[in-house]
Amino acid sequence: MVLTLACALVGPAAADVAPLIDRYCAGCHSPAQKKADLDVARFKDDMALWQTAAQRIEAREMPPAESAQPTTAERDRLLAWFTSAPTHPAAPGRRDGEPVTIRRLNRAEYNNTIRDLFGVDLRPADGFPSDAVGDGFDNAADVLSMPPALVEHYLAAAETIADRVIVVETARRGHRGRANRVLPESHTRLIPRRPSRSRLRQDAQEFLGPFASRAYRRPARPDEVGRLVAFVERASEQGASFELGMQAAVQAVLVSPHFLYRVELDGGDEVGDFALASRLSYFLWSSMPDDELFRLAAQRRLHDDEVLASQVARMLRDPRARALTDNFAMQWLQLRNLQAHRPSRRHFPGFDDELRAAMLTETALFFDAIVREDLSVLTLLDADFTFLNERLARHYGITGVDGPQFRRVALTDRTRGGVLTQASVLTVTSNPNRTSPVKRGRWVLEQILGAPTPPAPAEVPPLPAERRDAIGRSLRERLDEHRDNPACATCHRRMDPLGLGLETFDAVGVWRTREHAREIDASGVLPDGQSFRGPVQLKAVLLGKAHAFRRSLASRMLTYALGRGGGERATVDEIAQRMQRDGDSFSSLVLGVVGSDLFRARGGERAEP
Amino acid sequence: MTRPLPRRTVLRGLGVTLALPLLEAMRPARALAVRPPVRLAMLYVPNGVHMPDWTPPGEGAALQLSRTLQPLAAVKDHLLVLTGLAQDNARALGDGPGEHARALATFLTGEHPVKTEGVNIRAGVSVDQVAAAQIGSLTRLPSIELAIERAAQSGSCDPGYSCAYSSSLSWKTPSLPLPGEVDPAAVFDRLFGSGVDARKDRRRLSVLDFVAQELRSLEPRVGVSDRRKLDEYLTSVRELEGRIARAQSLPRVRAPGLLRPSGVPRDFGEHVRLMSDLLVTAFRADLTRVATLLLANAGSNRSYPELEIDDGHHDLSHHGRDADKQEKIARIDRFHVSLLAHLLEKLKAVREGDGTLLDQSMIVYGSGISDGDRHNHDNLPVLLAGGGGGTLRPGRHLQCARTPLNNLFLSLLDRMNAPVDRLGDSTGRLTGLEG
Repeated sequence: MVLTLACALVGPAAADVAPLIDRYCAGCHSPAQKKADLDVARFKDDMALWQTAAQRIEAREMPPAESAQPTTAERDRLLAWFTSAPTHPAAPGRRDGEPVTIRRLNRAEYNNTIRDLFGVDLRPADGFPSDAVGDGFDNAADVLSMPPALVEHYLAAAETIADRVIVVETARRGHRGRANRVLPESHTRLIPRRPSRSRLRQDAQEFLGPFASRAYRRPARPDEVGRLVAFVERASEQGASFELGMQAAVQAVLVSPHFLYRVELDGGDEVGDFALASRLSYFLWSSMPDDELFRLAAQRRLHDDEVLASQVARMLRDPRARALTDNFAMQWLQLRNLQAHRPSRRHFPGFDDELRAAMLTETALFFDAIVREDLSVLTLLDADFTFLNERLARHYGITGVDGPQFRRVALTDRTRGGVLTQASVLTVTSNPNRTSPVKRGRWVLEQILGAPTPPAPAEVPPLPAERRDAIGRSLRERLDEHRDNPACATCHRRMDPLGLGLETFDAVGVWRTREHAREIDASGVLPDGQSFRGPVQLKAVLLGKAHAFRRSLASRMLTYALGRGGGERATVDEIAQRMQRDGDSFSSLVLGVVGSDLFRARGGERAEP
Repeated sequence: MTRPLPRRTVLRGLGVTLALPLLEAMRPARALAVRPPVRLAMLYVPNGVHMPDWTPPGEGAALQLSRTLQPLAAVKDHLLVLTGLAQDNARALGDGPGEHARALATFLTGEHPVKTEGVNIRAGVSVDQVAAAQIGSLTRLPSIELAIERAAQSGSCDPGYSCAYSSSLSWKTPSLPLPGEVDPAAVFDRLFGSGVDARKDRRRLSVLDFVAQELRSLEPRVGVSDRRKLDEYLTSVRELEGRIARAQSLPRVRAPGLLRPSGVPRDFGEHVRLMSDLLVTAFRADLTRVATLLLANAGSNRSYPELEIDDGHHDLSHHGRDADKQEKIARIDRFHVSLLAHLLEKLKAVREGDGTLLDQSMIVYGSGISDGDRHNHDNLPVLLAGGGGGTLRPGRHLQCARTPLNNLFLSLLDRMNAPVDRLGDSTGRLTGLEG
């Protein structure tokens, strides 16, 4: 991809565009100036930067107001080039080609798969090293690596699991009573009856075939099953029991690349039936397909649009869809980082682990409700309900919620409602000792509006925070310096007002009207001229930018579903349009992703002729 | 003023055992006959340091400890403070922001990392892994990688860079970063867990052999990028096979009385000290000769309630020459250095051959950023502790004129019996280490 894009600038369509880039962009973003550390001469091969540039141009934030402005026609031509240059990955008629690399199961997927494979919730991966995050999620194919230390963990886990799911009779002598012992379901699933000594091989085959097919998430080939049966035979030759041999075979399956990786070998241009079943189940459940998905895959019906849609509906109602909350939402909203966030004990003595857990539970239950009840995704921005227990209700100043258990609570005062005003988000976007309108604003821009901002350049004098009281200026007044400094203004004009609109919540999300004996002014004006005061109006402004939010959410979910970033603009636009058409229901978002060519196109390039 | 270490008996048995003399069972027979081996460990702190307080006054012999280095008084004669070293490839070089991720990815590799959020992660092989590849087969484990913070759990770490860059100090291959083990119990298991059960080992070997077969039959059927992933797995499988086979020929390691740590300490300092103790144990018993320890992820914004510092470390590092912030950074620096002091004192307390384990070690401590506000990667804070088996002359402050940090690494690799001609942007060997 890198090469094609590098060539794109010299292609025929680029001839029209290159002068525009020269005229309107290169003045500041040149090798010499490199404003915002961007150099258009260099970033021609960086897809993400082109996308960002397109957004900024489209939002009329670039070129900055004080610079020469392109005409509407020129602006359109620039944007058109971004999306329709023949070599552009998002260009119509071209299959977004970046192959999906073979994906190793991450920790959550491993835990859930073990649970669903054996029917025992052992959570062996809790002790594994964290999976690295790429493109915002810990399921990014390319960064899920396999260092030796992890293989050791897999080996050890495979031993533990095999020992747990199959019971080996240690004292085989006599004791008739033993035979009547109730064996765990995991054992009888794998070994449904006593094997006959004379037909050891056939029995092992009969037991291991279906197991391997489920573990590999596709029909296991006879030679593959044969390699597993060999473990049972070898054990028997060495005088060990059938069960011990089966344990060894299970252990082998659990470290097989066919189990640990999602290998997509079947299928033509479209992803194969079984691979599609896995794509669905790992996307929505972070786990292996269930029997129904396997059955439909075997019947080759999963590619049928109606079947697919009804499966998606079924899967979203299933308790396993909670994985979307735990793995997609918690990472998209960056709430996994709340676990390591430590508000200052001096400033917030009331903050403790219980409150932290309550904050996370609120957001999780809230997102889960949107999934299960198929509510509008715009509910995420503003809602008339939330989930509280007594501790969190007190934190919010809401009365009438007693006891530690969470329940759905109707909100009358809309200062709360939606993720922006939940304590989890307000806390994770704050500094340990004070709010950070900049961080909150940046969070809204990046997670909600999908418009990332570059980090501050080095050596910018920061806010004189420590001299705050001596000078007696409010945070808002100090932030105003951003506007006066041209190096800061472009970005901070976008970020700061969004964050200032949430200033009536302190750094752990408690409502406040004053800080340091000053009345808080939570008003803001955005670069496009819209103004607001306080969270209620801020939410209204954001709802007015619903399409940006749709695209942002669609883009994040596509990345999560595919296990790689790349921001295919055309696909994202299609999904966003579908959402808008279908009333923004959560399922319309999921169906948009699942129905996209990207999700259904075959993964990695083939080596076979 | 040095803040005294909180003296808590929190090491859950480990500390007690370490006070006992080294058991002969833990010492490879080979080591008795020949000179004890040289060990190498690299420690990294993020966000740079407050250089005015770090840099020792004067140059040359009779090292004078700077304010930040005061906690190292007890091991002062074992220190070489090196100033003027640079990691030029950590600079943007046209890649824009992302100084923290680059600083860490470059620190031990000297290679400019590929800017990517996900696809095609790439830097270079780190110096510790270069050593491990050459001498790792002599010990039970080729190397150990330790960390204190788990990798970020969501979002982006440094803009444009996958979090893998921000949480890995060691790189086994240019495309395989090694995240450090955070859980002391898991480290303990790696050190002492395997090689004790012959039957288990046999089964593991047969399972690994099965995996290798499966990988071989799968590889021709997948595309290029998938094959790279499968190769990664095969390499790890091969390494484990070798390790298990080797363990059978190496003298048995038992850890009598050594208790397995339980859980990850909540207290940062306690966590670092526990990891340091495990590192000392590993070096002492010659279970490995190469280790890395990442004290916090690149750009870490952890606050330091133990020092009554509520601000995040990264936020503070953008001090804008604010004296209060610089003072807080200096206090954090000194706290980190006090944890290094714990490690070095422990190494010094172990007798080995005619000297101590510290005499046989080379412990590099530093950051890939000099001033956190400027994000510059020259004049890095770097300190080399230990005697390198008598090949170093410590107790000095050595000033170099803008020299690649990797030149130091070439010189250290020589002393590890793992010489290479080039590493990253090295231009030669660093002279003057032996005095």
